Amino acid sequence: MNYEFSPETLWQNKLFLLEGTRTTLLITAGALGIGLLIGGIAALGKTSKHRIFSVAAGSYIEIFRNTPELVQLIWIYYCVSILVGLNMEASISCLIALGLNSGGYMAEVLRAGIQTVHSGEIEAARGLGLSKYQVTIRITLPQAIRTMIPPLVNQSIIVLKNSSLVSVLGVMDLTFRAQVVSTNTFKPIEMYTAIALIYFVLCTILSYLARLGERRLVAYR
Amino acid sequence: MNDNAPMVKVEKVNKYYKDHHVLRDIEMEVRRSEVVVLIGASGSGKTTLLRCINGLETIDNGCIFVDGEPIGCWVTKDGTRCRDSERALNRKRSQIGMVFQKFNLFSHMTALENVMLALSCVKKMPQQQAREIAIEQLRNVGLQDRLSSYPSRLSGGQQQRVAIARSLAMEPKLMLFDEVTSALDPELVGEVLETMTDLARRGMTMIVVTHEMGFAREVGDRILFLHDGSILEQGTPQEILKNPKSVRTKAFLGKVL
Repeated sequence: MNYEFSPETLWQNKLFLLEGTRTTLLITAGALGIGLLIGGIAALGKTSKHRIFSVAAGSYIEIFRNTPELVQLIWIYYCVSILVGLNMEASISCLIALGLNSGGYMAEVLRAGIQTVHSGEIEAARGLGLSKYQVTIRITLPQAIRTMIPPLVNQSIIVLKNSSLVSVLGVMDLTFRAQVVSTNTFKPIEMYTAIALIYFVLCTILSYLARLGERRLVAYR
Repeated sequence: MNDNAPMVKVEKVNKYYKDHHVLRDIEMEVRRSEVVVLIGASGSGKTTLLRCINGLETIDNGCIFVDGEPIGCWVTKDGTRCRDSERALNRKRSQIGMVFQKFNLFSHMTALENVMLALSCVKKMPQQQAREIAIEQLRNVGLQDRLSSYPSRLSGGQQQRVAIARSLAMEPKLMLFDEVTSALDPELVGEVLETMTDLARRGMTMIVVTHEMGFAREVGDRILFLHDGSILEQGTPQEILKNPKSVRTKAFLGKVL
């Protein structure tokens, strides 16, 4: 093997990579926000009695869950620009694509969370004279949220990992910056090992949070 | 309200689930402090009748009055049918206690929180006062040392007693019991029936759907036998259990006694 290890390359580019980590986290957070919002709407749509809403929400969920993230990303960046004639900044179109993608998964998580609440409990609350609004606030939501936290954290880990795809469109995230540095310095081993570690640490923190949430759940189950 | 007026009055009530005629011309009255036991095979309409009395189900025609107030809907003098507003129905429901077969405790709340919820939410009581009443009610059903237990940590019998305490805390005029011992292990049935017997002795008006004929005999003032959505026969426990007139009542009792 004719490769000269040079860990100091990492040190020299630490700020450059740190900036990339920030971009990665921002994209992840933004996509999760959009995903929660759209996922929530899609979950409501899917459970709606009106066929138009349930079919629309269902199609959205199926399309985004059954096509590759990378294709969605590229499609939204290039094809939407051509079709609408709108020149979107790469980072914005990435946010939208990742958000729509995670929304498809979150819709199912949110729907399942709400449907796990035992209908008898809702009836008992109605029987005691609680209004529909009070039932939602005091019974349905607290239980649904507790059930949904672990799968939602898992979903955010997936979004964090998927965010590395945005490098393909030239968004300066962690992965893109590692590519830049490794091309300039011919040090791919250091760079890709370093960013793998950064992703690993970030995801581990998230899954630790998920486990904490699950343990809380066990308190009343 | 006149003390001689019935607590519950059901007038010519009919209910359909699509083509299925679940309740047929039901007429009944329950006096104050009376314990009425509804018996009948599953699917005979007992549970549906009970659920109509606190407005959890709507009726297609006829009227139900609890303490003189119509539940869910009523007919005005010129014959039009009016429905209760959501708010009005919630208020009326809060005065009628209901206990279910499957307990239906709020699984994310402790026993104490289960009992307190409606006091603070519906009766708008301050926390401290709600807490005192809830503790008192749980003590009455013998659960003063399980206040902070979650339902999953309680036995079926204990859960059902919490559910009874939760209803009683609202000081209902009427209590409805829907096969409350059917989901319990045999050795836990006694504690729940004891709580109900105690309640009847204290003068609560109760409508009880049950297969516990012992309870019906001991505590019931009157037994109604439902078959296929109609009240086929009614009378004192003595009359119904010892000398049923209808062949169907005989056949049913033959199976459960």
